[in-house]
Amino acid sequence: MDANELLAWARGPGFDIALIVFVAGMLLRILEILALGKKPDLSPPRGSGPKGGIQTIFTRMLPRKAVFDKEPLRIINGYVLHIGFFIVLFLYGPHIVLFESFLGFGWPALPSGMIDAVGAVTIISLIVALVFRLNNKVLRFLTTKDDYIAWAVTLLPLLTGYMAYNHLIASYTMMLALHLLSVELLLVVAPFSKLTHMFSFAMARWYQGYQAGRRGVES
Amino acid sequence: MSGIGNDRQFRDALNGLSIEQQRAVGALFVENVSGLSQDPRVDAALAAARDVGLSEDALNLARRSIKAAALEAHTRCGADGEWIDQAGYFVARAAEACVEPGGRSQGKGPAWKAAMSARMARTCLAADSDEDSHDTESQAQYQILTSYLDA
Amino acid sequence: MSAPSVEKGIQSIKGQIDAPVASFFSACVHCGLCADACLFYTETGDPKYTPINKVEPMRRIWEREYTLFGKAKAALGLLKEVDEETFAEWETLVYDGCSLCGRCSLVCPVGNDISGMIRKIREGFAAAGHAPEGLIGASTRAVEIGSPMGVKLPAVKAQIKHLRKNTGLDVPIDVKGAEYLVLLSSMEIMNFPEYLEAIARIMHQAGKTWTIASKAFEATNSGVQIGVSDIAKLLVSRVVDAADELGVKTVISPECGHAFTAIRWDGANLIGRPYGFEVKHILEVLDEFVSRGLIKTEGMEDAKLTYHDPCQIARKGGVVQQPRNLLNKIASNFVEMEDAGEMNWCCGGGGGVSANERADELKLTVFNRKKAQLQALGVDTLVTACANCRLTLEEGLEENEMDIPIVGLTEMLAEYLVEDDKEGA
Repeated sequence: MDANELLAWARGPGFDIALIVFVAGMLLRILEILALGKKPDLSPPRGSGPKGGIQTIFTRMLPRKAVFDKEPLRIINGYVLHIGFFIVLFLYGPHIVLFESFLGFGWPALPSGMIDAVGAVTIISLIVALVFRLNNKVLRFLTTKDDYIAWAVTLLPLLTGYMAYNHLIASYTMMLALHLLSVELLLVVAPFSKLTHMFSFAMARWYQGYQAGRRGVES
Repeated sequence: MSGIGNDRQFRDALNGLSIEQQRAVGALFVENVSGLSQDPRVDAALAAARDVGLSEDALNLARRSIKAAALEAHTRCGADGEWIDQAGYFVARAAEACVEPGGRSQGKGPAWKAAMSARMARTCLAADSDEDSHDTESQAQYQILTSYLDA
Repeated sequence: MSAPSVEKGIQSIKGQIDAPVASFFSACVHCGLCADACLFYTETGDPKYTPINKVEPMRRIWEREYTLFGKAKAALGLLKEVDEETFAEWETLVYDGCSLCGRCSLVCPVGNDISGMIRKIREGFAAAGHAPEGLIGASTRAVEIGSPMGVKLPAVKAQIKHLRKNTGLDVPIDVKGAEYLVLLSSMEIMNFPEYLEAIARIMHQAGKTWTIASKAFEATNSGVQIGVSDIAKLLVSRVVDAADELGVKTVISPECGHAFTAIRWDGANLIGRPYGFEVKHILEVLDEFVSRGLIKTEGMEDAKLTYHDPCQIARKGGVVQQPRNLLNKIASNFVEMEDAGEMNWCCGGGGGVSANERADELKLTVFNRKKAQLQALGVDTLVTACANCRLTLEEGLEENEMDIPIVGLTEMLAEYLVEDDKEGA
């Protein structure tokens, strides 16, 4: 298969398969959670559960001072990683065009040069995250294969995208094909890894926030 | 001093005493129940309480020792409580009150605290039975105080 | 309770997994920040105390039982089992190494209620026969005698007599139609009888009708600590039945952390129906009395003091501001330690840790966290509102040769209470 054929496949059937697996897989994971249900709480609430639930989805985005002070660099790196990834994913022109083809609407893009820089920073922050994971005592203890796999499938799209944009290593066509394939890999792996947190984080925060809201405790 | 017949009079009389006097009379209260504790640190603390010329350091040592005794004697959370042993805890607490630093009263003088803990020690004996031994302890304490003041 | 077994343990844990638990395991990204919030990790440096690690056996069961992918992996023999060895290995993490303080739950970036999961996993450990001896003893005594420390009604009555002599006030027993039903914890009855005296004086001043129940004076819920809901339910039911029978309006939970959690938040769910009465913590009641002018205070403590927030009352119970309102009325030099309020550090003795002799050394080690907080502050007195915290703190201070007296907030408030003229005896 030459670069053009690979790219055609990646743009066509490859993408379709990956998207189906991603959507079906994620739906399955979410349903697996919801199906377990939750017993209603019969104790009289002090405050509102739903309010606590919604609030917590947002308030947990920021760290508490007590914990931030313990690991400021690692926490900041986590933000760079996530924010960088989202900027690259959602604010890059060609990506927006793709989204538009699905959603029927688009939005303004950031200059490509800026995306390139953000992409580079995000790649660096991913490497930094790996270094932390390998050196931190608690992380070394907790880390499993799944953490490394999730890391790799997140890095590859960024790396290949960066290389494609900057015409590095292989021809543009090949790099683009590889980029798409790496995205497809990410989509296919995501529902079976900790990357499910992209959806379940909201559920977890909601559930804990709900209970906290009822009890009138901060969360 | 005319007879002390109730706790109001008891407390008022105690509050009129100096810290050294309170320690001394507190020690007397504790002695009345010291049979309920087998810990030698209780006697050591009482000796310190009676020793007016004791240095601050020595007093601190006595304080630490009796505090440890009280802690050791308490019943741990969830453990099978024996009221007889718990009496020892209150005796230690009473002794601790006798050597506590001045000004730490929070409204209660050391002698009063010692008296209350001593009574509580006696009450522990009643915990498993229906005896009303508490009354006798407060009466005994009024007697002790009256004798002390008259002396 | 029938004989424990590993199979029972696994089934029990399986039964504890609900949608929230599943979302937590699904969302966890192994960031490890929960460790930074846990005093058992910070003071030992041992990563096995990382909170999310404490529930690893539950995660394995979740993956295997409740995810398609997990089932497939299990069929291929790719998943770790949960067996006798697992229970043995994790027992000290789930009991000795956790006070259910809940700090981890507050800091998890994805929102996992890790301490809630640890409470749940204890059900499985108890069912598998892997609960610590001290807790088994306490729960058995609680069920059979009515108090985890074996305190019986005559003992309470003896203290009531003692109280009557000291204050002239009576402690009503089994009074129908009283407004408040006051519960006591065995720790208070045995070690801090000043609490009951303070209650009597405050209630008298406030002019409120109150009572204790002869059949249910105990507030401590050992079932919650060991993690056996059946026991927890039985103990709560005694209180609920008494409260219903006496027709009280409000049940007051004493200065004991887990007692409050059990009766206020767990109780209705344990018995399967809402209560016909309110439940308040004593601090909430005192705050109410003060703000409504039912009781007044006079004078102030001028010693430099600080307040230790009992985890179950503050972080998990929502009673954070009330003790501060009260302290501000009677203390002129009240300073806050760092991380005060919801994020305060546990004393290390909660959640059954202090009832577990095997955990004594660990408990003293983790006290270093509280020690650091106190040393940074340099106070003369420490105020708290939980009898268990109080003793744990006393032990820690003694071990570290720190001379800081500890006093209970209710007791302290009573010291500055403006009281109508009353005779001593």
